[in-house]
Amino acid sequence: MVNVFAVPVFFICFRECLETAIIVSILLAFLKQTLGPDRDPIVYKKLVRQVWYGVLAGVFIVAVVVAGMIGAFYGMGRNTFGNTENIWEGVFGLIACIIITLMGAALLRVAKLQDKWRVKLARALATKDEPKASSGGYLKRLMEKYAMFWLPFITVLREGLEAAVFIGGVGLAFPANAFPLPVVCGVLAGVLVGWLIYRGASFGSMQIFLIISTCFLYLVAAGLFSKAVGNFEADKWNRAIGGDAAETGSGPGSYDIRQSVWHVNCCNPELNGGGGWGVFNSLFGWTNSATYGTVISYNLYWLVVIVAFVTMRYRETTGRWPLLRTKNRDEVHRDSESNSTHSEQAKKDIGEKTSANVREIRD
Amino acid sequence: MAPSIRACLAPVFITSIFANLIHAATVTYDFNITWVQANPDTAFERKVIGINGQWPIPTITVNLGDRLVINVNNQIDQDTSLHFHGLFQKGTTHMDGPDGVTQCPIIPGSSFTYNFTVDQPGTYWYHSHSKGQYPDGLRGPFIVLDPENPFVDQFDEELVLTFSDWYHDQMPKLLADFMSVTNPTGAEPVPNSALMNDTQNLTIPVQPGKTYMFRMINMGAFAAQYVWFEGHTMRIVEVDGVYTEPTEADMIYMTAAQRYSVLVTTKNDTSANFAIVGSMDQDLFDAIPEGLNPNVTSYLLYNESKELPTPAFVDEFDPFDDMTLAPEDGLDLFDNVDYSFNLDLKMDNLGDGANYAFFNDITYVHTKVPTLFTALSSGKDAENVAIYGSNTNSFVLNKNDIVEIVLNNNDPGKHPFHLHGHNFQLVVRSEDEAGAYGNNATGLPRKPMRRDTVLVRPNGHIVLRFKADNPGIWLFHCHIEWHVASGLIATMIEAPRELQETLHVPEDHYAACRAAGVPTEGNAAGNTVDFLDLTGENKSPDLLPAGFTAKGIVALVFSVLAAFLGMAVIAWYGAAPITSGELAASQRRVEESSVVEK
Repeated sequence: MVNVFAVPVFFICFRECLETAIIVSILLAFLKQTLGPDRDPIVYKKLVRQVWYGVLAGVFIVAVVVAGMIGAFYGMGRNTFGNTENIWEGVFGLIACIIITLMGAALLRVAKLQDKWRVKLARALATKDEPKASSGGYLKRLMEKYAMFWLPFITVLREGLEAAVFIGGVGLAFPANAFPLPVVCGVLAGVLVGWLIYRGASFGSMQIFLIISTCFLYLVAAGLFSKAVGNFEADKWNRAIGGDAAETGSGPGSYDIRQSVWHVNCCNPELNGGGGWGVFNSLFGWTNSATYGTVISYNLYWLVVIVAFVTMRYRETTGRWPLLRTKNRDEVHRDSESNSTHSEQAKKDIGEKTSANVREIRD
Repeated sequence: MAPSIRACLAPVFITSIFANLIHAATVTYDFNITWVQANPDTAFERKVIGINGQWPIPTITVNLGDRLVINVNNQIDQDTSLHFHGLFQKGTTHMDGPDGVTQCPIIPGSSFTYNFTVDQPGTYWYHSHSKGQYPDGLRGPFIVLDPENPFVDQFDEELVLTFSDWYHDQMPKLLADFMSVTNPTGAEPVPNSALMNDTQNLTIPVQPGKTYMFRMINMGAFAAQYVWFEGHTMRIVEVDGVYTEPTEADMIYMTAAQRYSVLVTTKNDTSANFAIVGSMDQDLFDAIPEGLNPNVTSYLLYNESKELPTPAFVDEFDPFDDMTLAPEDGLDLFDNVDYSFNLDLKMDNLGDGANYAFFNDITYVHTKVPTLFTALSSGKDAENVAIYGSNTNSFVLNKNDIVEIVLNNNDPGKHPFHLHGHNFQLVVRSEDEAGAYGNNATGLPRKPMRRDTVLVRPNGHIVLRFKADNPGIWLFHCHIEWHVASGLIATMIEAPRELQETLHVPEDHYAACRAAGVPTEGNAAGNTVDFLDLTGENKSPDLLPAGFTAKGIVALVFSVLAAFLGMAVIAWYGAAPITSGELAASQRRVEESSVVEK
């Protein structure tokens, strides 16, 4: 069995693929539900394609980097990424966390709009040309316009490299022919879960689907944030002990006792593929060795999320930020929308259209 | 650069001036312990601990039966002590040296006198027995000449050849780094070089066709050394002060603290010189630093006009097995064991994150009262092992019992074990990875080898026996100085009641304790009223918490609550109806983009 099926490799592929599949399937389901092929097929196709381009671009870059790593390993006989693994995992994790967090809120807000407005908004975003605005606005628009690209891209990049490093870590224990089958099975299992989520989204109300899937995204993001902090701490610890702490397994020495909040000598999500704990880690950020940094960052993340949503709702209902004196509404808008290039005239137009919309809803 | 032959060999050649002295004499040394600058491997000059401004420190040479008096004056800024490795100290256990066990430390600026009779011949060494101090230089040969040496007619001249690993850093710093949360695997510092007679590339002039007795001593802190004489065979005649049946060997494996006397007969022609090689056992090293030369070379110099050879490369070490030796006195195996106990060795981390060494799950921690003083002040309680503390691995031995120590090494490292106050019979020694001793060994040697320091192999075991005929407090420990620091020590409390009746500890010892502020009465915790009450004794750090502690559970509950609360807020936000403001914003975005398009 072990000779043709390396179980750790299966788990590594499954968990890394699972996280990607969840994000991709939620995005696709969102697009299908909000735009759908029947509402605005052109924009829909365009955005769906963005998702897949993101996945493909991620896969491509992972392939190039992994080829380079293998080349470096056999060419120079050393594990080039080993030393900095924790740093780049932490950085990618942090970026992915920020993107998921922003997109999660955006998806939820968009979902509340009526179909007609969603389509309009999507079309507006997707067709927006190169803006002539200031550089800050430019970057923001680039992010918005290709929003459906960035999240899958960064996710695949992170998960792919992580999988490569993990497999590299356990790989030497297995013969070469023990790899193909578990890799294929792991990826298929991940894709299957993604497909189920996508299909599941077709049933029931879209709002409920989006609420549930956004909760899931935020769980993943909270885990990523905490894990990123853990990665930076692990890097510091590795440097302090002058070696790779993972060599000591999950026992003493694999973690800094001074920072430890809990540590169990089992259930390590990273050792030998992690098994079910690895999946648990991908979805909920489980760790067998929690530190003050990871626990505080996890809780802090949720605190920020809670405060942000409450604040958003407050502003939506009252038209102003909490703790601020009532401002002129136009000023409020200017604060929230960083691109303030439009003219006073345009603002007035919007004001009129707003009242029109309110009526429309009441119809 | 070849060191001056004269300077290095002056203390090495021991002529027969003492051999004429048949009557016991008193030999007195005044030792001022001082800092000295030295650069023995010509790679790094450093501060070393010398004696009377000299380093290497003097060789102590006495005749069998002599009284030795050493007046120590500590002129360095660290506590110190002297242990005379291998001497039984019969009747003088308080002169054995371990600081905190049989005496108090000799604190900076104070004096202390060692005074005892030497009644065993052979090759020994002396070194500090305070806080991992001796690798900083305070270690030297101790030779007991024996006019009755059974091999006296078989050699022309005797020489001392010391081997040692060498560090460029000072021990206090290395020890702090070693016993640290940042060294969780307990990786021992790797030496910077190896030395022979505290130098390198030493040339030893020899005459053709003669026989030399080399008294070889490994005074290292850590590394065992493979030793061989190129082109010559050694005949082992003594190990650790025990004469052996002469046995030929091409290569010897000498652990830290072991000694071998070998006879080497020189060739009859002087056409070439030959290398003597010491090679540190790199299996002991966790990681081999780049550029480390594990070897040290000296030369048998037959002919000054010939060049010094480069030692040949050795593919595989195949050293002599000291289990095959037989004692010259033919002492039989102690086959009626009165008291046998196991010492199961392991390495593990404690709650402070550092890596400790354990016998039977207990790591050694020094007691508040030196163990000897506990034994002397405890009256009838002296035979109750509990009073010696719960972190000392103490065993109370009855007078003249045959004691058997079964040591199971549950560690993948090699360890050289040393017993103070005795030598022991090597009854069983397993190969690597043999696991624990099953008490089923057959074919025990009838006349087993005896020595005072023995190698136990990785994940293997040894069985040792000795007769408890020497009342006193004797440590049994690994002679890797790092493992002494990490607590690989047990304490033999031998015939403590007899000790109370017979031992007279001089005032000098009590003065040292007063100066150091160390009590000389009471149990391990210093309790003089109830010897069984060990409240306040020194203990090892707690075990690492296994699994979830209170703070872990609180943290986990909070994290889960935070996640659920967060999701509840998301659901609340997601389910709340859209407001006019929101709608306006979206609309504005659409408008805005169309403005741009236009």
